[in-house]
Amino acid sequence: MLGGNEKEKARALAKVRRFLKARLLRDYTTLHGYKEERSNVRQLLQRTAEMGESNSLLLIGPRGAGKTTLINAVLTDLVDNRSFVENTLIVHLDGNLHTDDRVALKSITLQMRLENAADGKVFGSFAENLAFLLQCLKAGGRQSKSVVFILEEFDLFCAHHNQTLLYNLFDVSQSAQAPICVLGVTCRLDVIELLEKRVKSRFSHRQVFLFPSSGRLEDYLARVEELLSLPENKSLEAASDRLRRLSRIQSEALSLGRNHFDPADGEEIDPPFRKNWNTQLHKMLATQHAQRSLQMLYDFDISEAFLRNFLFRLVAQLRPETPHITADQLRTMANQYECDDKIELLCGLSVLELCLIIAIKHHSEINDRDPFNFEIIFARLSKFAKVSSTMQGMERSIVLKAFEHLRIGELIMPVSVSSSSSGKVQKEFEKHKLALTYGQIQQAVQRYQALPTEVAQWAQSSLI
Amino acid sequence: SRLAEGTPRRSIQLSNIVEKRVFKEDEIISTPKRGRTKKVPEDEDEDEDEDYTPKKSIQKTPTRSRRMSTTTKPSTTPSKAISTPSKGAVAPMTPSQKMKKIRAGELSPSMQQRTDRPMEDSSKSQLQLAREQLHVSVVPTSLPCREKEFENIYAFLEGKIQDQCGGCMYVSGVPGTGKTATVTGVIRTLQRLAKKHELPAFEFLEINGMRLTEPRQAYVQIYKQLTGKTVSWEHAHSLLEKRFTTPAPRRVTTVLLVDELDILCNRRQDVVYNLLDWPTKSAAKLVVVTIANTMDLPERLLMGKVTSRLGLTRLTFQPYTHKQLQEIVTARLGGSQAFKGEAVQLVARKVAAVSGDARRALDICRRSTEIADADSANVKCVTMLHVQQALAEMIASAKVQAIKNCSRLEQIFLQAVAAEVTRTGVEETTFMGVYTQVETIAAFMGAAVPAPGRALRLCAKLGAERLIISEHSRNDLFQKILLNVSADDIHYALRVGEVSS
Repeated sequence: MLGGNEKEKARALAKVRRFLKARLLRDYTTLHGYKEERSNVRQLLQRTAEMGESNSLLLIGPRGAGKTTLINAVLTDLVDNRSFVENTLIVHLDGNLHTDDRVALKSITLQMRLENAADGKVFGSFAENLAFLLQCLKAGGRQSKSVVFILEEFDLFCAHHNQTLLYNLFDVSQSAQAPICVLGVTCRLDVIELLEKRVKSRFSHRQVFLFPSSGRLEDYLARVEELLSLPENKSLEAASDRLRRLSRIQSEALSLGRNHFDPADGEEIDPPFRKNWNTQLHKMLATQHAQRSLQMLYDFDISEAFLRNFLFRLVAQLRPETPHITADQLRTMANQYECDDKIELLCGLSVLELCLIIAIKHHSEINDRDPFNFEIIFARLSKFAKVSSTMQGMERSIVLKAFEHLRIGELIMPVSVSSSSSGKVQKEFEKHKLALTYGQIQQAVQRYQALPTEVAQWAQSSLI
Repeated sequence: SRLAEGTPRRSIQLSNIVEKRVFKEDEIISTPKRGRTKKVPEDEDEDEDEDYTPKKSIQKTPTRSRRMSTTTKPSTTPSKAISTPSKGAVAPMTPSQKMKKIRAGELSPSMQQRTDRPMEDSSKSQLQLAREQLHVSVVPTSLPCREKEFENIYAFLEGKIQDQCGGCMYVSGVPGTGKTATVTGVIRTLQRLAKKHELPAFEFLEINGMRLTEPRQAYVQIYKQLTGKTVSWEHAHSLLEKRFTTPAPRRVTTVLLVDELDILCNRRQDVVYNLLDWPTKSAAKLVVVTIANTMDLPERLLMGKVTSRLGLTRLTFQPYTHKQLQEIVTARLGGSQAFKGEAVQLVARKVAAVSGDARRALDICRRSTEIADADSANVKCVTMLHVQQALAEMIASAKVQAIKNCSRLEQIFLQAVAAEVTRTGVEETTFMGVYTQVETIAAFMGAAVPAPGRALRLCAKLGAERLIISEHSRNDLFQKILLNVSADDIHYALRVGEVSS
């Protein structure tokens, strides 16, 4: 009987884990906060669709601040608006994918389903495509459908030749042609400076800045609780309903609805379990330990993307043996973020390689970070090896191998900028610099397992 | 308006450069074209109808692809939302046939149509009407504050058309000062006169450097506006050369407007040279009006022989003063009471102080109406406060706000960069120096010192936002870091935050 109960509990936990993971990863359309900015963008798109107004806007904010989610959320809001759905074409471009105007233009032609495109293939040359697109937009007017251009990684479009695409899109938005709305998304604050002056003049200078609301840890904690707690069934259904309506957006490039987090997908979680989970979570977050750990994360990065990443790893640790998220887990995970990977790397080196690093450190300390080559370091190491009892009889070729190992581990880096000139220098004489701080070496020496005492002493002082 | 009267049909037939197939098509298509010039060219629907009537296809020798479509090839074209009225009568075209039609200029490009009618004017509020009037795309029939320039260009063009000779003009000015609007306004006026037979008829062609993928496409676009056909640039060039250099009776004057001239300049400058050389030929009767931004473009960028051909008939559009901007906005508003007088004045003064760009002023006014609209339902009028908010949104920079919204360690990192700049006295710092400063400041403030790896992440994040300019993290401790905001901004942002909290 007890075994059956255990099994039941394990199943419920698996369900919760799956639910939380899916919500952390695949919830593309739910936006937290940004009320004003959201309504600003929504009204702009609405006016474009309903009144046939032409507009342009730039959405600017640091990475992980929810720029794409904002657009997705606005589009989800507008799905209910019949005149928006039926009168708008959405064209989605990405600066990383559409690396020049040629590719971007083909994509636009396809997404707008113009006459010279058929079944995913665009006919004609680049110049013809541009001319045809411009003619089409010119032929349009108040009676034609509005087109919403979403340009993600907008700053990369600025690097295109002559900024032809941007000029033409902005120019259409400022002349009596088909109503279009150009929505640029970027993380660069100074993106306007990248525009050419005539492109800049045509841009309407509407900028919406998205900054993650910082300032208070309480908001952050509330957000953590919101992301981890299990919602009521009623709100789940509402969310699921909203999701189903997403399929109304007719766009080929925009795949919001596909593989979206569907709260009604899994089986329902029974209310007592949910209540228990939520109270446990609340209690845990109220503890000092948990708050201190979260404060550590918050000090480092306030963006939600970072937080979600952290919580995902936390949720993945849920096991039947440990059915709740504990403050200890939180602390261990946060400490993992704190630790230095390079020290881990140093602790994985052999004693000989560590000795080389120590020799390099001594050389750098004495000569104030002057570059070094193998010969210098080998001489310094031999001086130590002669008097040490463990390192005698070290062959030169083995030390050179260890030196090369350090180099491909990028713990030491060659000085020369041009690789062609360095080819002429023999590898024993090539100048290198140390890519570590002294503090890191110090810590590594302390944490190294079973380091010979001689080496540890040598590390303390360069005198032998 | 693409008129085909000037198409030198005879000269095409004489041509021996032209390939046979293209040459044939030219002949066939130019025949009905001549008849069509009597029609109203703006009426697109009628144009299309004519293209698809069976009568036309009889006139035309069946090309190979056409024969294929009627006999063997089944239709593979996916149904398009746009369909021409008479499409049902003709067999549906394959995409490549369609492309051929597009190249021949027989298929007019079109956009998908709305399913409902756009909103009626009568149902709009005063603010909405004002917003529509303030949109940059609504160009008034007569531009305020550009009367002198209008007169100047009008006199030039009218004189050239009357005299039946060719010439060049260069118009310059910073963006948003009404260059293109004025020139097209002049040409519209002249076209109206020509229609009333008070002026000899003329053709108007228009190209824009920024709408071309490369300078040589200018030939293609010009030829396309003459005949409607798309050909390769070499072919278009030879045809245009023939048209402008061989004398022909009853040749009408052609006015060619070249916008964004600087883009057409490449190293060889053959395109610009040709465009400016044709007016010198007595047979051409070509008047070229060129527009660009910089005043000294001909001397700075163009070769001597090109500058010489461009001549000295030049006109500069000065940036608008605040009085002119105010006049422009009030002219747009008409008698509407949507704006308070001082609100318009504030916009005009702020914009005139920065750039004198009319587009900027109109956009700010439009944003103000939106703010007033959102403000509350009762407000019918845009006041100073709304304009101030719009100006803050559209002119102010957000760097201080960005610094305030950084995480604590990011703020420490920024402070450390500023401190390192103060310490060394040079703008450029290395990561290692900054990291020692970070250690110091963090220890001073009691924060946990981030490991160098994490500090590199902070650096990359700030670099992505462009608060600092950093190299690739591959250079690790040796990457160079520049501060992209002023140190004063950092101090201001962080100090002010401390006081408020």
